[in-house]
Amino acid sequence: MSEKFSAALRIGDLNDFIAPSQACIVSLKGLKPNANKPDKSEVSVGRNKQVQSEPVKISLKDCLACSGCVTSAETVMLEKQSLDEFLSNISKGKAVIMSVSPQSRASLAAHFGISPLQVFKKLTRFFKSLGVKAIFDTSCSRDLTLIESCMEFMSRYKQSHLVDDEKSNSSLPMITSACPGWICYAEKQLGSFVLPNISKVKSPQQTIGAIIKHYLCQDMGLRPEEIYHVTVMPCYDKKLEAARDDFVFRPESHDEGSGNEDNVMTEVDSVLTTGEVLELIQLKEVDFESLEESSLDRPLTNISEEGYLYGVRGSSGGYADTIFRYAAKTLFGREIVGPLNFRNIRNPDFQEVTLEVEGKTVLRFALCYGFRNLQNVVRKLKTGKCDYHFLEIMACPSGCLNGGGQIKPNKGQSPKELSQLLETIYMDNVRVAEPFDNPVVRGLYDKWLEQPGSDKAKRHLHTQYHPVEKSITSQLHNW
Amino acid sequence: METLELKEIQRLEGHTDRVWSLAWNPATGHNGVPLLFASCSGDKTVRIWEQNLSSGLWSTKAVLDEPHTRTVRSCAWSPSGKLLATASFDATTAIWENVGGDYECVSTLEGHEHEVKSVSWNASGNLLATCSRDKSVWIWEVLPGNEFECVSVLQGHTQDVKMVKWHPTMDILFSCSYDNTIKVWADEGDSDDWQCVQTIGEPNNGHTSTVWALSFNANGDKMVTCSDDLTLKIWESENIGMQSGGGFRPWRHLCTLSGYHDRTIFSVHWSREGIFASGAADDAIRLFVDDNESQVGGPLYKLLLKKEKAHDMDINSVQWSPGEKPLLASASDDGTIKVWELVSQR
Repeated sequence: MSEKFSAALRIGDLNDFIAPSQACIVSLKGLKPNANKPDKSEVSVGRNKQVQSEPVKISLKDCLACSGCVTSAETVMLEKQSLDEFLSNISKGKAVIMSVSPQSRASLAAHFGISPLQVFKKLTRFFKSLGVKAIFDTSCSRDLTLIESCMEFMSRYKQSHLVDDEKSNSSLPMITSACPGWICYAEKQLGSFVLPNISKVKSPQQTIGAIIKHYLCQDMGLRPEEIYHVTVMPCYDKKLEAARDDFVFRPESHDEGSGNEDNVMTEVDSVLTTGEVLELIQLKEVDFESLEESSLDRPLTNISEEGYLYGVRGSSGGYADTIFRYAAKTLFGREIVGPLNFRNIRNPDFQEVTLEVEGKTVLRFALCYGFRNLQNVVRKLKTGKCDYHFLEIMACPSGCLNGGGQIKPNKGQSPKELSQLLETIYMDNVRVAEPFDNPVVRGLYDKWLEQPGSDKAKRHLHTQYHPVEKSITSQLHNW
Repeated sequence: METLELKEIQRLEGHTDRVWSLAWNPATGHNGVPLLFASCSGDKTVRIWEQNLSSGLWSTKAVLDEPHTRTVRSCAWSPSGKLLATASFDATTAIWENVGGDYECVSTLEGHEHEVKSVSWNASGNLLATCSRDKSVWIWEVLPGNEFECVSVLQGHTQDVKMVKWHPTMDILFSCSYDNTIKVWADEGDSDDWQCVQTIGEPNNGHTSTVWALSFNANGDKMVTCSDDLTLKIWESENIGMQSGGGFRPWRHLCTLSGYHDRTIFSVHWSREGIFASGAADDAIRLFVDDNESQVGGPLYKLLLKKEKAHDMDINSVQWSPGEKPLLASASDDGTIKVWELVSQR
């Protein structure tokens, strides 16, 4: 399986010791040949005779529904969410809209030695020269995600105080949902015991997808089916997220087409990683550094009147940071100014912040990045020893800036050096701003979603998780 | 002229399926404490065997038949002999504590996706490593109160990892795999996580098929590995024991012992006296020693003896006991364990 996936996916799904052809329930022949050699019968698998035949096509959905490997999914994904597919949709005359993550901007900024704002403006120029209609910013939709997450936290917190039996209380800790590697791992490996704790709010990627296809398209004079929406993400696993069944819908205005498979839309049609965008820049032989800077598309971008980028602190989305501040203020009347006092627990990828009121710890939040820390938190959850109110879990060590889709370190640069550089660049000339003060987001509530936590907001911005039953085949292979 | 022979002391029956592995308790066999070892099997149980000091014979002291739901593939005692770790195909590793002669399961380590193949404690007993068919190697830290915390999940092998083994004196971890390589893992440099510091594969005179096991000599400056490629290989490293400041010294190929085996070699174990034993699919046990009379460029180790038909089926594990006069124990697919003594015949 590809190194591109996060560790959680690589651990959680790989079942391909027996080679994908055998582990996969859809196709039993014609995939990758296995370097089979005599091995002690620790594994109950007969040796496969290599059969020459036509490869069987497997859809990504088949793969996601299966508890076996995702090795085949990778191939499918590369076809469905590739640069070729992206370029072909532009040439087909689709209205291509791009949403760029702030982590991807930082990675490109570090690579080219320019600021994230310059990257964003040059990217806008570059994509528009290819025929892209509009370029937006997922830190904008992230503010909406964060506000909805604050609402969800408040309701979970209140619910947890109604329930006396702490052990059976599944409302807290609340766990972030933005990391698709974590979600996939939780669904496939951990199942029902942890899923109720995961935030119902969609990730910034899916939130911006929902805004564009359910709301903004009308402003732009487009029907959802005319739009091809592409996100640029630091993470390979985001491709899997975009392909989830939960993010598929049928346009409301076209009743006559219902039941027709072709009429199914996705909030995000394709995900390109930062690395793939760099590849595209190189493919087009564009001198990116000297490319002219274009003005930014304002409808879904965190850019102030004065031309500054703005957003929350926290390079993995600032979930713990934002919700902690909101809870401290709303529940305990404590307004916290300046950076929160996160303390390392065991290693820099596990940090904790607490609020004390009258000598009592009333809020305990943690950042938990990387597979090893994730394991320990899961262990605590399982044994009922987890006393956190909120966990910001990301599968990658160092979080999203170090996502598998980011540009690799330059020659002579250690991963740690790059990671520190990215942390600095990420907030370089970016103004820290409260999500609740974001004028774009306020506008979305005023004109569309009514108010934070409304039924309409829940309908468009909330999602669900499903434990994946172990298939019989995968259990057999697990004999 | 003196010849040596492996004399069977006892044939131990009890397991109802193949015996995969065994481990001697390092705190036994001296100061009047009777020798004791654990064995684990396809019958999902672990058996604890103890020697009777007066008769010298062995009997089952305990049978641990919970909580593993599938084959128990490997077991290992902590250096103090107080804790026993058992690795199972049920994807868990159980930790047992000896409480007044009774064995209590005090912790279960979950996380591996598939069969756990091997488990090993470091020299000071504060770290535990496991490896699995899921290709990963995990390192756990032992905390007070029998709490275990995951320190690292290492992904480097491209296939099933067969064995993990800590260096006898330093916190360096070795793993060997179905991908034919041996990997060396250390926690050093500016990274705050463990990383692979050396991969010994075919291009570095490594094995050409599955590497099943490895073992260190008493000093820890030499390592022997055994493989499905029918060879044993000896590796050496400099300045072992001078870890501070010196950085990691890579392991070098010293020699390859080929031509002695014609079936897969599953197990190899080096005694403190310098004799290493191999257990193989040909049901035989072989012992090798330093070859003092070796010519320059010639083989450095020679076959001391070969015990044909040591078992009726494959030998999965051979282990030397602690104590003054080491015994050898062997575990086999035939469901039995045998205890051997190396005796000289005139």
